[in-house]
Amino acid sequence: MRLKVVILLCILLLSTTVSTANPGGKGDDVRSRDCAGSCHASSSSNGVSTATLNIIFPPEVYAGLLIEVQTSIGSVDVSSNNMVGMALLINSDGAKDLPANAGWEIVTDPNGGMNNYVEISDSFSSQSPVNRSWTLRAPSEPGNYGLYLAVQHGTPEGGVAMSGISEIKSVQVEEVPENLPRLSPDWEPTNTRGLGEETTIILETMNTDSATVELMNGAEVVVIPVVDNQFTIPAAVNPGIVQWRVILEGEGPTQTSPWFRITAQEPAWGVDETALYLQSVALFLLCAGLVIMQRPKNEDIMKNYDNTEHVVSTVGTIQDTVSEEAQSPPIPAGGIPEGWTTEQWEYYGHEHLEKIERGEV
Amino acid sequence: MISAGTIHVISTELTIGMFALSGVAFLLCMIQKGPESREAVAHWALLGGLIATPLAIISGINASPGDGIDNPLLANKMLLSMTSAGLAIGVLVRRKMGAAVDTRHAGIGMASVGLMLTTAGMGGEFSRGETLLLFVPKETVMIFPLWASIVLIILGIAILSKSAIEHRS
Repeated sequence: MRLKVVILLCILLLSTTVSTANPGGKGDDVRSRDCAGSCHASSSSNGVSTATLNIIFPPEVYAGLLIEVQTSIGSVDVSSNNMVGMALLINSDGAKDLPANAGWEIVTDPNGGMNNYVEISDSFSSQSPVNRSWTLRAPSEPGNYGLYLAVQHGTPEGGVAMSGISEIKSVQVEEVPENLPRLSPDWEPTNTRGLGEETTIILETMNTDSATVELMNGAEVVVIPVVDNQFTIPAAVNPGIVQWRVILEGEGPTQTSPWFRITAQEPAWGVDETALYLQSVALFLLCAGLVIMQRPKNEDIMKNYDNTEHVVSTVGTIQDTVSEEAQSPPIPAGGIPEGWTTEQWEYYGHEHLEKIERGEV
Repeated sequence: MISAGTIHVISTELTIGMFALSGVAFLLCMIQKGPESREAVAHWALLGGLIATPLAIISGINASPGDGIDNPLLANKMLLSMTSAGLAIGVLVRRKMGAAVDTRHAGIGMASVGLMLTTAGMGGEFSRGETLLLFVPKETVMIFPLWASIVLIILGIAILSKSAIEHRS
């Protein structure tokens, strides 16, 4: 039996597969650089990515204003799910490397969120690079800043977690010219919306006489009128991303904002939480009650604690023994021996009868 | 500061470990095999798991991303864990009232354990996207209307009260 158990355990152990990192991804999030989840794996399961990584800034970056940054990943073959995790960072140390630590704000990531780490699936190959756009708000203090692009991915053969990081890409953040037409520093773009609903966006501008919005619809760019600093983007029929940008004109040089992305998505799953909690309590009470209701019948409980039979049988045995012990031997025809008392006969009568049988008396 | 996620892992391990032990002991009770202590182990482990369950539920809600219950898996986890806790309390009270650990009693105990393990399996799917519960319709949530839940609550309280009165008499 033991041998069979040992063999079974060995088979189970041998049937396990070696898996590195998180092959299905870890989800978009605000993350420091990590090692693709394989920090504690052996060095043989880690590798350095061959990807060529690049970050492209716009020619002019003003302090506190929105900019569009392009990231590029090329010369890389990945695992069969074609997924790469990429992160914007401010150093390569793996600590205190979030863009927010240097004053950057991720306004819209390539997936429509506000994370510095995103996972994208695309046709990654050694031949064609994959580009993605990020909308960032530049640090509020002028100066020289740098960003890194880090990636993590699998390999076509599997089993190895690859990670890589670019060289630092520096950018000079300049003081905002006084009369520069621009969006207000407090204004935040809308990133998501539901299907089938129009989206009205209110612009907050500074030093701006007129604004024009361009909406990218496929490869076509459509101009949308702006009335009272408001414009409306038509409803989306299917989940997807539309991009728009605003051209601001005023006394200063005309400014074009980065492309803002609005992701149309299926309405999120929702539930009436009150109904859910009430139903939970109802199920709890009902199940407990139904089980307790199945309590044993009184007879069963009595049976568990009733030892009458045992007592009766024990007492009966004792009584029998006592009665047997108390039974006097039969008195012979000649009566009890002369000089014996009745009590003596009860105790020693047997011996006297045996002597009579043996003919000794 | 320990995050709710870490607390949830700890409390979940406690709950599931003790429920699993209880399930094995109830199985032995059902087939009438194993050591004499199986009945005590089954009920004490069930009690231990039950004590850790509220902590697991509360830390789980706090650890889930987003606001509130925005995923059918979370809703089903809530319903299943509360159902399991109800069955477990019923089993413990029934035993306290002197019920024999027969096939029915052990079966209800195992059902409670099974529901709690299913809850844990759903948690695995929610956090890692992987589960062994391939054929369980986890994405379907059956929510009663409010009035039905209230009726069931009243019914449950009535049953519990009636049982308590009968037991006392």
